[in-house]
Amino acid sequence: MKISNETIIEMYEKMVKIRKFENRAMNLFAEGQVGGFVHLYIGEEAVATGVCASLRDDDYITSTHRGHGHILAKGGDMKYMMAELFGKESGYCKGKGGSMHIADATKGILGANGIVGAGHNIAVGAGLAAQYKGTDQVCACFFGDASTNQSTFHEGLNLASTWKLPVIFICENNGYGISVSQARHQNITDISQRAVSYNIPGITVDGNDVFAVFEAVQEAVARARKGQGPTLIECKTYRWRGHFEGDPTVYRPEGELEQWKKKDPIPRAEKYILDNQVMTQAEMDQLNAKIDAEVEEAVEFAQASKFPDVASAVLDVYTDIVEEGRTR
Amino acid sequence: MRELTYGQGIKEGMRIKMLENPDVFIFGEDVGLFGGCFGVTSGLFEEFGEKRVRDTPISEGAIIGAAVGAAAVGLRPIPELMFVDFATVGMDQLVNQAAKMRYMFGGKLKLPMVVRLPSGGGVAAAAQHSQSLEAWFTHVPGLKVVYPSNAQDAIGLMLTAIDDDNPVIYLENKTLYAVPGQVEDEVKPIPLGKANIKREGNDVTIITYGKQVYDSLKAAEMLEKDGIDAEVIDLRSLYPLDKEAIFESVKKTHKVVIVSEEAKRGSYAGELAAIIADECFYECDAPIKRVCALNTPIPFSGNLEAYVLPNADDVVEAVKSLF
Amino acid sequence: MNSIGIIANPASGKDIRRLVSHATVIDNNEKINIVERIILGAQQNGVKKVYMMPDPYNMGYRVEDKLKTSGELKCEIEVFDFYKEDTVEDTYKAVQMMNEKNVGCIVTLGGDGTNRAVAKDIQEIPLISISTGTNNVYPDMIEGTIAGIAAAVVASHQFDKAAYSNRDKIIEIETAGQLKDIALIDAVISRDIFVGSRAIWKVEDIEKIFVARSHPASIGFSAVVGGKTIITEADDFGAYVSIDKNAPKIKIPMAAGIVLPIGTSEPVILNFGEKHETTTYCRGTIALDGEREIEFHQNQTFIFKISRNGPWHVDVKKAIEVGQQNGFFTV
Ligand SMILES: Cc1ncc(C[n+]2csc(CCOP(=O)(O)OP(=O)(O)O)c2C)c(N)n1
Ligand SMILES: [Mg+2]
Repeated sequence: MKISNETIIEMYEKMVKIRKFENRAMNLFAEGQVGGFVHLYIGEEAVATGVCASLRDDDYITSTHRGHGHILAKGGDMKYMMAELFGKESGYCKGKGGSMHIADATKGILGANGIVGAGHNIAVGAGLAAQYKGTDQVCACFFGDASTNQSTFHEGLNLASTWKLPVIFICENNGYGISVSQARHQNITDISQRAVSYNIPGITVDGNDVFAVFEAVQEAVARARKGQGPTLIECKTYRWRGHFEGDPTVYRPEGELEQWKKKDPIPRAEKYILDNQVMTQAEMDQLNAKIDAEVEEAVEFAQASKFPDVASAVLDVYTDIVEEGRTR
Repeated sequence: MRELTYGQGIKEGMRIKMLENPDVFIFGEDVGLFGGCFGVTSGLFEEFGEKRVRDTPISEGAIIGAAVGAAAVGLRPIPELMFVDFATVGMDQLVNQAAKMRYMFGGKLKLPMVVRLPSGGGVAAAAQHSQSLEAWFTHVPGLKVVYPSNAQDAIGLMLTAIDDDNPVIYLENKTLYAVPGQVEDEVKPIPLGKANIKREGNDVTIITYGKQVYDSLKAAEMLEKDGIDAEVIDLRSLYPLDKEAIFESVKKTHKVVIVSEEAKRGSYAGELAAIIADECFYECDAPIKRVCALNTPIPFSGNLEAYVLPNADDVVEAVKSLF
Repeated sequence: MNSIGIIANPASGKDIRRLVSHATVIDNNEKINIVERIILGAQQNGVKKVYMMPDPYNMGYRVEDKLKTSGELKCEIEVFDFYKEDTVEDTYKAVQMMNEKNVGCIVTLGGDGTNRAVAKDIQEIPLISISTGTNNVYPDMIEGTIAGIAAAVVASHQFDKAAYSNRDKIIEIETAGQLKDIALIDAVISRDIFVGSRAIWKVEDIEKIFVARSHPASIGFSAVVGGKTIITEADDFGAYVSIDKNAPKIKIPMAAGIVLPIGTSEPVILNFGEKHETTTYCRGTIALDGEREIEFHQNQTFIFKISRNGPWHVDVKKAIEVGQQNGFFTV
């Protein structure tokens, strides 16, 4: 695999960005500065990063309730993300979406999604549009292991396969749907095998190895751009935090988290980078400091922003109609 | 008397019936060891075991569909969907199957099932986790719909719903789960279609249910200071509907305000207004008013959400506009 | 008591080669079916105890459950109870425990990579390998029932293992004066800069190929050498070639459905005891039996040697023949 040092550094930077953003969001939630449902991506950074590093700016992604990582990896701006978590007017969704619904159409981000399984077919639609218009764009569709029990998953794979659509289905298999372990929600361990029924390639990769994800997605994207149809890539990974902030995680067997922490994707990449002199320790420290500053800047930006004017509540239900507001 | 929260009341209702009848069982996403996303089923897994308190995969179609099938052959399932918003995913099973099978089959089947659906906004859960969709369910012939507002009613309605041989949609308001209430030591089943007059009054009838019962009672207190004596009716059961209680009250007050958390357009509140206009028009001496959420999805940001959802002030304002 | 060990690799049959070549998917349910047939074949022929490696899909328990439910299970199945890492570590651990339990035979389900992991520590226990992986040279395509019967013959300890098995060759890779790893079939030096998704398929990045055996009718890197010369399991040597873009090209089956023209130097024979030393000039990886395993950077020295320190590989047909000739199957 030919991959430049710049790409390696870029991927490393993305992973660290996600980690630091999420850690900060976690603290802000604990402090009560951020509310609602917040699902963190800590531990799974290599997946979004490896996938989006294989995409162009004009490619699409669909995301999930656990979307911060996907959005950052696809080039989302931390400032607007953070402001959205705060519900501020300057946020990506002007405060209307919150953590679960961040979108950035200019970056091909078709939105985080609060409905488990909703992204599968939206991705199919984006793929259909690319095929219809004859562009070579692709759509990467992120979804969790537990979402593969929704009919939408099966419908989406079937349609994408039948119409040979440029969709890369990325299953983030973190072993749980909220409290229900994979063994209790489906009678298989490798979701990749579900591809067989739809006659598309399905593979399993180490989702905590950014290079493994990157390499697999490169191949799948190349295939999709050539009109050879969709691919299902299952990335085995683990979420370190609870399902949402506030989840006591009583359902986890003892030792499981610690075991997975040993496979932390970030030190793995760091080791590679240092061993192969892609960066020096000093450069790496500098990069980390830069990202720390960026996160702080995002928080300050969010804190300094205003809450939206209530009159805005009735805007954007439609492109044209403005709904009636309140007199109070 | 004893104190239970609304959530505990729901659980208590299920528990009583589960102890009584081995055919009653619960299933849904994370309802087992986790105790449900809002903790409503906590402890039931330990008490009844995984046969009767089952975690399902994320498959709302299968959850509702399996309940229909199990009910059709004699069990009394209580499926739970984590949020009413996810009923959309299981809607075929609910609307085309559960609601219609008995009728289509010429009355040959019974479908005793209770579908639990946490509803409503107010928890910064944004557009896909905050809706109030009661109008969808009340619109469908074949479904019964209840919506308790307190622990005592939660128990009483649950007891009746489980014993009912028809599909019953059991709506719950997620902001009420932790609200404590006084509960009789032995709660009797509350017949469906029996409203509860929460406050008697002579000047205006406020018809409501669920969380808006609290807003309406608060509004009634505020109105009292202005010399307006409001009657507050908690419907409890949206279908069957206690028309008698409504008409009785209207005959007394001649003014009606209907309060619900739904988007106003196409709401169940609208249906209530239509029923009154249809059947009780000559008793009204003012327009029938609806206080609802705005016709928008529910926004995330706290101030926007508060603006979109109705509150006690809106009720006061609506009432005052009638005088 | 006659016992056997079974190591079914839960990870085989689903890697990236389903995407970059035309390889088949072998899911874990299929492996369960095979394990079931092995056990049924073995228990009918005197095996009383079957030890199994634990895995995330619980293949062992699933088989046990299935055969108990159908009333067919006569032997005892013991799935080792240790903390599953869900990595190759589980294989190492299981092989070590099978050694402690003194099993008469180990049956593997997997590909070349699986067998390589088993070979590291199998010592004197005879090995039957069933192919459930991709591009395999080492394991055989054999029916599970037949493998189970052969395993029973072997585990009976009634026959000299030289009558049905041979000790395999391996490639030993040393660095910094220590044995770093082994390969059963081939070791490949590649400019591919990371282990990544493990499988190796990019021919343009290959520098050198070492083989313990080679044949043009096999698939993968050993076929590259096989295109020039055949080296059998019996030969007391191996060989290596360097990829040479300017050399005359031969069409080689590199992966399932992928036949490519490849130019190499003439094979250089590596006799037992001979060392080939190579020092890296850039970043890269060494792939062992088709999987990238070792990442290296510039100026690292590796030594490649061929030896006969591999496992006792059972010829299933021969084992059953030995049984038949000696009345082992007579009721
Ligand atoms: C249709 C629907 N059903 C249920 C939920 C509630 N819910 C949100 S996330 C989740 C678990 C999702 O698990 P998985 O798809 O594996 O993603 P993960 O959270 O592990 O990243 C559930 C049940 C939902 N949001 N939408
Ligand atoms: Mg998951």
